Amino acid sequence: MKNSIQLSPKDMINAYLLFFVIHGAQVGVGIHGFQRVIYQDAKHDAWISVLLAGLATHIIAFCMIKTLEIYGSNDLYGIHQDVYGKRIGNFFNIVYILYCFVAFFSVLRNYIEVIQTWIFPDLATWFLSATLILITIYAFTGGLRVIVGVSFFSIVLALWILPLLFVPLKFSSIDSLFPILETNVGSILKGAQSMTFTIIGFEILQIIYPFVKDKENVRKHVHLGLLFTTFVYLFIMFVSLTYYSEGKLTKTIWATLSLFSFISFPFMERFEFVAVCFWMLIILPNLCLYLWAACRGAKRVVKISGKKFVWIFSLLIFIGTLFVQSRTQINTINTQFGHIAFYIIFVYPIFLLFVTMLKKKYTSQKEQK
Amino acid sequence: MKFKLPFKKKQKPIVNTSHNNKEILSPSKIDFIRSIKDATHSPADLMVKSMLPNLTLIYINNLVNDKNLNDHIITNLQNATMETPATIKQIIAIAEVNISSQLEEAITAIINGNVLIHMEGYSQVVLANVSTRESRSLTTPENESQVIGAQVGFNESLSTNISLVRRYIMSPDLCNEEIKVGTRTKTSLNILYMNGIASDQMVNTLRQRINDLDVDALLDSAVLVEMIDDNTLSPFPQMLLTERPDRFCDGLLNGKLGVIVDGSSMAIVCPQSFIEFFESREDQNLRWQVATFVRLLRFSAIFLSVFLTPIYVGALTFHYEVIPQAFLVPLSESRALVPFPPVFEALLLEFIIELLREAGARLPTKIGQTIGIVGGIVIGTAAVQAGITSNILLIIVALSALASFTTPSYIMGNVIRLIRFPIIILAGFWGFYGIMLAFCFILVHLLRQSSLGAPYMAPFYPPRFQDMRDSLIRLPLPYTAKRPSSVRATDQEKYNPEVEHPKKS
Amino acid sequence: MKIFKFYFILLFLPGILSGCVETNILDRVGLTTLVGYDAGTEEKIATTAVIREVNPEFQSNVEVVTTENETSKGNRMKANRKLSKKIMVGQMRVILFGEELAKDDLHFYIDTHLENASISNSLYLAVVEGETAPLLQYEYKNIDDIGQHIYRLIEQNVKQEHMISSSLHEIAHDFYMEGKDSAMPIIKREDDLIELTGIALFSGGKMVSTLPVEDSFYVKLVRDSFTSGIFETIIQKEDIPPNLMTGTASDMPVAFDAIRSKRVLKLVDPTTPEFDLQLKLKARLLEVYPDVNLGDPKVVEGIENAVSKNLSREISRVIAHSQNVQSDIFGFGEKYRSSVRNSNLTKEKWHEMYKNMKVNIKVEFDILRDGVFE
Repeated sequence: MKNSIQLSPKDMINAYLLFFVIHGAQVGVGIHGFQRVIYQDAKHDAWISVLLAGLATHIIAFCMIKTLEIYGSNDLYGIHQDVYGKRIGNFFNIVYILYCFVAFFSVLRNYIEVIQTWIFPDLATWFLSATLILITIYAFTGGLRVIVGVSFFSIVLALWILPLLFVPLKFSSIDSLFPILETNVGSILKGAQSMTFTIIGFEILQIIYPFVKDKENVRKHVHLGLLFTTFVYLFIMFVSLTYYSEGKLTKTIWATLSLFSFISFPFMERFEFVAVCFWMLIILPNLCLYLWAACRGAKRVVKISGKKFVWIFSLLIFIGTLFVQSRTQINTINTQFGHIAFYIIFVYPIFLLFVTMLKKKYTSQKEQK
Repeated sequence: MKFKLPFKKKQKPIVNTSHNNKEILSPSKIDFIRSIKDATHSPADLMVKSMLPNLTLIYINNLVNDKNLNDHIITNLQNATMETPATIKQIIAIAEVNISSQLEEAITAIINGNVLIHMEGYSQVVLANVSTRESRSLTTPENESQVIGAQVGFNESLSTNISLVRRYIMSPDLCNEEIKVGTRTKTSLNILYMNGIASDQMVNTLRQRINDLDVDALLDSAVLVEMIDDNTLSPFPQMLLTERPDRFCDGLLNGKLGVIVDGSSMAIVCPQSFIEFFESREDQNLRWQVATFVRLLRFSAIFLSVFLTPIYVGALTFHYEVIPQAFLVPLSESRALVPFPPVFEALLLEFIIELLREAGARLPTKIGQTIGIVGGIVIGTAAVQAGITSNILLIIVALSALASFTTPSYIMGNVIRLIRFPIIILAGFWGFYGIMLAFCFILVHLLRQSSLGAPYMAPFYPPRFQDMRDSLIRLPLPYTAKRPSSVRATDQEKYNPEVEHPKKS
Repeated sequence: MKIFKFYFILLFLPGILSGCVETNILDRVGLTTLVGYDAGTEEKIATTAVIREVNPEFQSNVEVVTTENETSKGNRMKANRKLSKKIMVGQMRVILFGEELAKDDLHFYIDTHLENASISNSLYLAVVEGETAPLLQYEYKNIDDIGQHIYRLIEQNVKQEHMISSSLHEIAHDFYMEGKDSAMPIIKREDDLIELTGIALFSGGKMVSTLPVEDSFYVKLVRDSFTSGIFETIIQKEDIPPNLMTGTASDMPVAFDAIRSKRVLKLVDPTTPEFDLQLKLKARLLEVYPDVNLGDPKVVEGIENAVSKNLSREISRVIAHSQNVQSDIFGFGEKYRSSVRNSNLTKEKWHEMYKNMKVNIKVEFDILRDGVFE
């Protein structure tokens, strides 16, 4: 099919790195406090919601890969242009770029909020956003290879945090999980929907797909990445549900960070202060990948150099962070973004798969005639 | 956005100087002597010696070996009769004898230590190479000493160095290409690599980079490294400088390329990944358990060296919450008299340590030791007593300085010490957030680098589990039979990993 | 490239100049290690803070400052006016409440401390018999830093499993749990020493009753488990098996250590509600008076049975006491909630049911070994 992307092997990445890209893109600021949001809907069955949300990501990723396989070597933007035609396709592309923009913004703003609440209440927002954006730009300008490298290291270097979560387990009681399935199915599903904000990120697959060298292995590594994310979220959810009592969990805004409060080493106490700062490494791939995805789209829609786009993008983000100041504003953005993201990430790909399959059938029939 | 300096891209201007070069030497003796004197600006050590019946010898006194000149040239010339320069060439008992009639060639030869033998009536001259190069004898490598292993280092002579390498690798596959760099110094440098192991593409890249250089002088290999490595502006070296022939040969045998520059005791090995700078040749000589331990020790030392002082500064300036209660009292009491904020205190102490190091490096060895004692004991104790610094910080700074010296590569050790300063300042302004900013920045920076096109963070990124067996840790030999994939070696296997264990009798 | 550098400098120079944050340099702040709250006059909060300061004379001294204001932050500001150094709360280890205040409501205090990110979740809460201010202001002969002393005292006893743990997290956890109430240790000044004297039982945020310190073993036994506790009891005359009654006419004191316990709680009847509480203890016999032959399995079994009986009786007593004051510090309600579907348990509802709760206690006590000398 037309406008597929041709790349030299030098720019391409191995499929197994997709594991890190997918997982790195999913885990970010959402993990700080997703327990509370889901708990409000699904109560102590929240872990079922997490499991369901994880399952949903697998299904959607399956659909995404199916769609991409029809085109061989093309990204979402190219598919849009091919399926809907140049004009409508570009409209969809712009929507997607905007989505990436908002996603970038919300990751950045949420992280700044965490920093300001936990450590530096008087550190200016503009300074935090400027420093984070600059580092993102520095990584972005290194190209995809560097961005994937950042995702790789962010995961490998953060793996040691996971076993630390066993420490709070000594205060946990398994009774908090029972009775299982007390909450009705509707609420659990609603909880799963609330996971959207936390679990998205794997849509980057639709953009990165043409850059993968061995496309036949994509499926395996994407699903492994999603599985690992689901496992991490599930584990944190279990620990939180048993560690916090029902009332305390609904009142704790960043439950994951508060979990760290009990962790202490002989040379260091209050691990959460370190964790909050260390989280910069974990959100960095988020930021880089969204910026990169937006940039790929912008290049498809209009003729613009990557450098120029990055500066415009960052400037808009920077100005945006200055305007959103209060916690309520941030929460509104998170909720609204979560709703929109649900449709863009969890509903739209299924629709797109149908459209592309129809189109494929149509064109192949035409060719036969 | 690649950092490139402009001088690399400048191509050598091709000036058509052919008619100048083709100047023919004069057959007349007086004209010949004058033309040589003019071309060399008649230096004081230019010797002109006339020999009967019609010979003239011209050479530069300090460049030739007197014994060779006397024994093999003058004696032979006196004892025989000659008609043409061709017969002279046969008579002289010297290996390297040429005949030329061009002035340019003659001048080059005389500067390289040849003796020009001119015969009245012929425009051809005989060029007999009796050059001698002043160089020190082979000594132990001063900067890269190791306990177990060879105790010989490169010296400043190109030919000695190459002979050292050839002694380690007795193979016809050892390729040796000579390139001259520097329009004025005409420094010769040799590219060495193993044919059949090293990747041709990398050899071409390296050759291209050296050929593209347009500089007037090249005095040391360290300068060459800065000119030809991938990112000149990065503080991190992307090619290894070593004065150990065994390390050099180890690199060659792993498929890397080596460059030896005349007049420099440091040889270049490339491509080199970041992690390999912290590996010592000695690791191969130790049992794998010990080697792994030493490597892990070294890596944790680097981590400590870079982040210990900043963490102290950050914790004391902003994050007093993270300090355990047991430390609280000693920490705050040791700082009670100190009038400065922790960041200034730390910078001051780091500055003193760097001063001591620099002073120790500049002074003769004997005085250098005194400086160490004076600095360590007198300044340290006095500073604590005067209340300028706290004694806990003194320990931390000394520890991180000590840790930075464990790096086997001195140049990398310098970088480790240097990058500590911005991190301390960042920690002083923004605490752990500042440290994390620096950490992310360094990580991204390292990821962006490459060494001769090979990834700098290999084998961690791109992840190659096979290569990781000999990186942060060292597994037993049967597990490390493969050459690192980042050098794109033609022949991947070093040896057959299926070791046949000798039967116990 | 030059443009990039230009931007970089442009952003960083003012960054360094105006992005500076307020510093909390360790030796220039006064670290609050302990705060005591008392009920003040006219709806105000009386706060007594123990603040550690460092002097240039290489000595750290401890100031005890008492202030009274509407909020705890207001008290901090007031205390700041009395001290040369900024007061920080990030190293706070203990919060004490006056008895009168605890009997009123602690909800507000738990919330304020949870809200502040710089306050650790692992600090200990305790109730003081009487008022906190006199306890903290008293000049103890051998105690240098009263804040640290009280922290060590509680920590040591919690670690040794002599006292129930009462970290902020656990208190808040129980407080916000529908089926459980919180309990805290009680401390008291005894001449020149500070002593743990009992356990304060809470119902919601209100302290409703106390238990003597000797009962803390039983409370802990039912509340959670032991990994290496110490326990001493007196076997009453009627429990002693006849074959052990060799010449002793009085009660029989025994002591155990290295106790490991496990509790299994089961809801058997949701309507009453009725629970089966099964406790399994394993211990090492440390002291027994008078001398009995521990080599005889029958004797050992006799002691085991006697101790089990004794434990059941004591535990029933403690549970009955807590039922009387409607304070479910053992978490029976949580078991009820997790066993009964759609119970929609609230604290009030549970407290009503708790009064009528029945517990069938079954204690299995095993003596694993005794010492090196029989």
